[in-house]
Amino acid sequence: MNGRLAAWAVLGLVLTFLIGPFLIIIAAALSAGESLAFPPQGLSLKWVVKVFEIESFRASFGVSMFLAVFGTLAALALGVPAAYGLNRYRVPGAEAVRTIVSAPIIVPGIIVGLALLRYLVIPTGVGIGPALFLAHTALILPYAVRVVSASLENLRTDIEEAAVLLGCTRFGAFRRVVLPNIRGGVLAAFILGFVTSFNQVPVSLFLSGPGVRTLPVDMIAYMEINYDPSVAALSALLAFMSVAIVFAAEKFLGFSKYV
Amino acid sequence: MSEFLSLEDLTLAYGGSVAVDRLNLGIRRGELIALLGPSGCGKTTTMRAIAGLLSPKSGTIRLDGRDVTRVAPSRREVGLVFQSYALFPHLTVFENVAFGLRLRKEGDLAAKVAAGLATVGLSDFADRAPAALSGGQQQRVALARSLVMNPKVLLLDEPLSNLDARLRLEMRLELQRVQRETGVTMIFVTHDQAEALALADRIVVMRDGKIEQVGSPEQIWTEPASGFVADFVGFETILPDPETGGALAWRPAAVTLGEGPHRGVIRGASFAGAHREYVLDTALGVVKAETPASVPPLAPGAEVAFDLPRARAVRLASA
Repeated sequence: MNGRLAAWAVLGLVLTFLIGPFLIIIAAALSAGESLAFPPQGLSLKWVVKVFEIESFRASFGVSMFLAVFGTLAALALGVPAAYGLNRYRVPGAEAVRTIVSAPIIVPGIIVGLALLRYLVIPTGVGIGPALFLAHTALILPYAVRVVSASLENLRTDIEEAAVLLGCTRFGAFRRVVLPNIRGGVLAAFILGFVTSFNQVPVSLFLSGPGVRTLPVDMIAYMEINYDPSVAALSALLAFMSVAIVFAAEKFLGFSKYV
Repeated sequence: MSEFLSLEDLTLAYGGSVAVDRLNLGIRRGELIALLGPSGCGKTTTMRAIAGLLSPKSGTIRLDGRDVTRVAPSRREVGLVFQSYALFPHLTVFENVAFGLRLRKEGDLAAKVAAGLATVGLSDFADRAPAALSGGQQQRVALARSLVMNPKVLLLDEPLSNLDARLRLEMRLELQRVQRETGVTMIFVTHDQAEALALADRIVVMRDGKIEQVGSPEQIWTEPASGFVADFVGFETILPDPETGGALAWRPAAVTLGEGPHRGVIRGASFAGAHREYVLDTALGVVKAETPASVPPLAPGAEVAFDLPRARAVRLASA
């Protein structure tokens, strides 16, 4: 009986640790007070409203959205063919390619960010914007390749041959037969990439400049000057957005079987 | 040159190893051919080369008077029913059958698909997903999908091996009926001699990338040309013949048990319904014999007399 009690206690602690911060942020966001504090002073939606009025948040939200959507699309444009090639053909050095493609997950973001700033942006004069876009594409690429690879592995290869014998070109067979059958995996990769990019901090921290700043970086900058609950309100909104996306993905395509 | 499909000196290789070695074979229009052999004999490789999924290292494939050796599979007018059926999982039965017709932009799509499905008896299944069908039904869809394209040659990869015994007979009759009705030239690959004997007009027995024998089922069954073919069609005891320098082969039923000049020890015995099968260790080598089930069983370990009557043996040029 004691063992069972201990198990419940551990479970409770873990849940508190996982969900606690989320609850605290929501509470802080609904505060009527002037500074970021828990427990909240009074109850109000004014900070939630305020979030939408802060000009720089609107701009950096746009940047983050753009990066998350188009960075992920670019990563998929590279990652889907890469996954297909690695899966279907015996390419020499395929393992090396797989490892290199996964590198951005393993190498700490701070290093990636610093390296890009020091050896790409500064010497070549590439703008912060394009550098940020490249960085996010590279960061999402591993997820794209892995998730799409997993769906490709579950797909028979003889259906492509069947399509070719029925009159398709090799590319036609890919488009008409392979792509529709890995759609779930591609969508899952998109969602994973989107969330990864949107929540990315360390790389984006190095690659920010006048007018180009991702939302999380902007929030850190804002907090250094204004210690008010609007950051908590924004955090809560973003958390809800992520939860909504993942929930919808799980409901409509069984997200968890892909990742 | 009356051949409809001919393979001339066809050599196929995977990486460095030769899978099929200078194969020559002629097939007439409307024939039903079986490529028979154990796994690794090159039969599937040959079939894939005919379909164009594999480029020959050397040699020529001629189909209906045209050299198709370098023609893309999509333009060969060859159909292939895959062993695993290879239906498109994201399309309905109707769309699977319509797939090739749509690419050809043929008119009368619905009527042609309906006719194709009717041929294989699946008219009521047009709107189903392939996953909702049984294995036998999936195979019929795959067959219809190839047939509606009006192929010059229809290839079938182990068409019966994934079906249970009852369905196998049904599908065998179905394939023969379809072949009669459409007149399409069919080549099927199998490792099962019973399947080949029951279905084919002519059987091509392959071994190690070469043709061992080509003949009618009767010829293959009664006059195997080599020890390999003999063994494959059930002549399980093959012994050298000192009189001719060749070899003699017996089916288990041709071996007399219980009397005769030779003696052997029963190593294994099994009951097979209509008969009992025995494996004997003898001074001549291993002998396989059988008796009707009505004969009382012999116990393993027992010594028994037997005879290998010459009159019931098949003569082979070599073992």
